Amino acid sequence: MVEVVVPDLGEDVEKAKISFWHYEEGDKVEKNDDVVELTTDKATFNIPAPESGIITELCVEEGEEVEVGEVIAFIDEENEELELSSEDEEEEDTNF
Amino acid sequence: MSLNAVSTRLPPWLIKKIHRNEVSLGTKEILKSLDLNTVCESARCPNMWECFSKRRATFMILGNICTRNCAFCSVKKGLPSHVKKSEPSNITEAVGRLNLKHVVITSVTRDDLKDGGASQFARTVYELKKEYSDVVVEVLTPDFRGNADCIKIVAESGPDIFNHNIETVNKLYKRVRPQADYYRSLNLLKFIKDNYPAIYTKSGLMVGLGENRDELEAALDDLITHSCDILTIGQYLSPSRTNIPVAEYVHPDEFKRLEKVAFEKGFLYVMSGPFVRSSYNADQVFNKKCDKEEV
Repeated sequence: MVEVVVPDLGEDVEKAKISFWHYEEGDKVEKNDDVVELTTDKATFNIPAPESGIITELCVEEGEEVEVGEVIAFIDEENEELELSSEDEEEEDTNF
Repeated sequence: MSLNAVSTRLPPWLIKKIHRNEVSLGTKEILKSLDLNTVCESARCPNMWECFSKRRATFMILGNICTRNCAFCSVKKGLPSHVKKSEPSNITEAVGRLNLKHVVITSVTRDDLKDGGASQFARTVYELKKEYSDVVVEVLTPDFRGNADCIKIVAESGPDIFNHNIETVNKLYKRVRPQADYYRSLNLLKFIKDNYPAIYTKSGLMVGLGENRDELEAALDDLITHSCDILTIGQYLSPSRTNIPVAEYVHPDEFKRLEKVAFEKGFLYVMSGPFVRSSYNADQVFNKKCDKEEV
């Protein structure tokens, strides 16, 4: 399981607001796809997925404040691998 | 996909992707291990992760507490810290470890120091040039209250580029840079070019603070008549609720128009865009200027 964490957004910036989730729980994401949009007083940021996988949990609602370092979502990489391997098997089956 | 976008979201052209990866974290770690400040972090720059992911950073010397109270800036204000003797050598080490070919050195404003911190700038430039003679060194300085002796100390240390931002149009100085003076900043650039013609002069403007087109174009004219070679133009973003609010989010098309106007006025090179900052992609700006000169 991979965590999506609120990154350091500059000196003395302790909080940010979740402005927009680009995905819902259960959606599949690719590494580096934007998962969530965060807003600070200064700027708006898109946070990419650290790994490919299935989003198993979005921990915070849109409009809520989060702290730097806080885990705001979980991505299941193994789930992604399982899906891929089952797809591979299906492909093999059709070859036969 | 959720439909409940929050109303505080900025226009779509002002959303920045975070490049938090092994490279950017490594850059951060190198800076931390050498006890170096960056304007990237202190000014809460939205480009920070992007630049760190390219192993670039803008070093901020003379501490991280500023003696001035500019309304646009998030750098801490108050009683400054002592000047660290190790700073020049630590920057030199960081330049080696990050393999930088273009180094930007800026500082907080140190009106409390007799030389405004000029000798620390000079020590840093000397040390860098001694160790890495092929590295392009850009200094981004405060106005040194217009003290020619201080400006000379920095200029004679051998920087390739002398950058000093006028930041905004004349009309907004009292509100945006209350302890600065529009013509003092312009005259600094002219002083450099008049006395050290081999050094490139560079300045930066923020837009979206409440200036109009005519005032902006007047600032461009003033920069040209005060011998500014290179110009950057970017969107002002308010770092916190205590800073001056944004008056306008300028559309990317207007940045392109401004870039064209500025080139027509005679700048050697112009970089204009919502996320352009004074030292953003400074190496590319300088190299493109050189290409243009060759043409």
